[in-house]
Amino acid sequence: MLNKRSTKIWIFAAASLFVGATLFFLTGPVSAHKKTHSNADMQAFDDAYMEVVKIGDQLFHGGGPPAKEYGLTLSKTGMACAMCHPFASDVHPHQFPKFQEQMSEVVGLREMINWCIEKPNEGVKIGIDSEAMIALEAYIMWSHKGTIIDPGTH
Amino acid sequence: MGKIHPDRLEMHKVLGGSKRKPDDTVTVSRRTFLHKSIIAGGAVGAATYGWLPLINTMDIAHAANNIRFAWVSDTHLYPKSLNTRFVDKANRAFKEIEAMKPDFMIFGGDLAQVGMPEELDLGEQLLRAITIPKYFIPGEHDWYLDMGKLWEKKFGGSPWSKDIKGVHFVGLNTVGQAPDFWSAKGMTARERMGHIEPLDGSVAGPWSGLGPEQLKWLDSDLRKVKNNTPIVIFSHNPLYEYYPPWNFWVRDWREVHEIVRPYSNVTNVHGHTHQVLYNEIGGMRSIGMLATAWPWPYAPDGVPKLTVPHVRVDPGDPYDGVGWSDIQYSSQKGLDNEYKMWDRDVFATAAADSGTSDNTGLTLRPRIADRIWQY
Repeated sequence: MLNKRSTKIWIFAAASLFVGATLFFLTGPVSAHKKTHSNADMQAFDDAYMEVVKIGDQLFHGGGPPAKEYGLTLSKTGMACAMCHPFASDVHPHQFPKFQEQMSEVVGLREMINWCIEKPNEGVKIGIDSEAMIALEAYIMWSHKGTIIDPGTH
Repeated sequence: MGKIHPDRLEMHKVLGGSKRKPDDTVTVSRRTFLHKSIIAGGAVGAATYGWLPLINTMDIAHAANNIRFAWVSDTHLYPKSLNTRFVDKANRAFKEIEAMKPDFMIFGGDLAQVGMPEELDLGEQLLRAITIPKYFIPGEHDWYLDMGKLWEKKFGGSPWSKDIKGVHFVGLNTVGQAPDFWSAKGMTARERMGHIEPLDGSVAGPWSGLGPEQLKWLDSDLRKVKNNTPIVIFSHNPLYEYYPPWNFWVRDWREVHEIVRPYSNVTNVHGHTHQVLYNEIGGMRSIGMLATAWPWPYAPDGVPKLTVPHVRVDPGDPYDGVGWSDIQYSSQKGLDNEYKMWDRDVFATAAADSGTSDNTGLTLRPRIADRIWQY
């Protein structure tokens, strides 16, 4: 036989489940899409992505109009990222996060991008979650599409 | 980029099939023993790559009198107000050479970054520190703002050749014969240079080459010397196909190799690649020189098997991976190239420290912003 305390717990649990289920069926999961993706949808997603990649390419090759728009100082020496990293080579995005000797700790790609901006290029660091940082990361990763992920490798 | 591999196979088939070596007088010295042990392995490109203990010179015998010269290139000077680091490094090279007083200095191109008069003036001023004879060949960064007008006014034209102490020296212009990529698009001079300036630009295409007239000149010039005369050919770009997307080649390398084929003792000394490189194809060896400005990474494909790569560079040290070269000929020791790399050992001793192992397994794509139509 259930005692009074156990009965209350069961009633509370059943009520919670009922309320939760009702809310789920009424509103649905927040991020789910309800329709099948059309070719036009896929093209739109790709267009949005490639726009960011192109901005990243320009930032990587000296800044261009996007650097002015974002108010960035990526370099004070005239050096651009691409001058040491043509085709974004030698960036090794597939190896991050990894132990980075310059910082003596395990860091992600974005921290390394900022190190390069601040040290060799003598520029001003950019926000770690900024649009510019995401664009740089998008260009670097796009350049390496097909490269096998190999995290932690020096 | 998928076309590179078949092209390279063709190069080896055409030029390496005969198993020719640069000459018959190569000697094995203490410093080159390990290097030669690779070469002895078989046809060009067939050698097994391995990690070698430190060596810092290459000795190749030639029947020449004693002669010593210095190579400096790729200073990439910006205006002094923007970048003093590159000025400091160029100055350091020039001071060291002036103190050494070799027979002459060859400047191998890319004195300036974007060919502005201010940059070329600065270079000319810094070069006054050198009192020994100076010879020049242009780089693309010196050329494409005004199509080489100011460069040639200050430093003379090319190609040229000189016989010094029994060695036939040739200076080529491998940068001034780009197919016209600018007129149809109505580019300004600055826009044209803007597409030449980045190594990984794709709009300028295969700009490096000798062109038909210069090939004819080279053929007729070499016909004046005996087949066993030591010949040193200076060029900004390497005279073989290493990595065309970065113009680490000349597009008419086949014709160049046909022209030098009768000669048994040919050395190509080149800049542009900003890295330690060594290759042999047919009867010609090529030695890549360091920049003073900054090192390029090794390309993801095409590094010659005969190259012992330079050490992975510390990006926080502006004097790492850069420098100049001290090159000597002597009848006893032959040709000796010593890389004067500042701050670090030159050659990698393990895969983890190598500039080439960094880039293995990468799949890279040409940049995308080049494909945006702006004209």
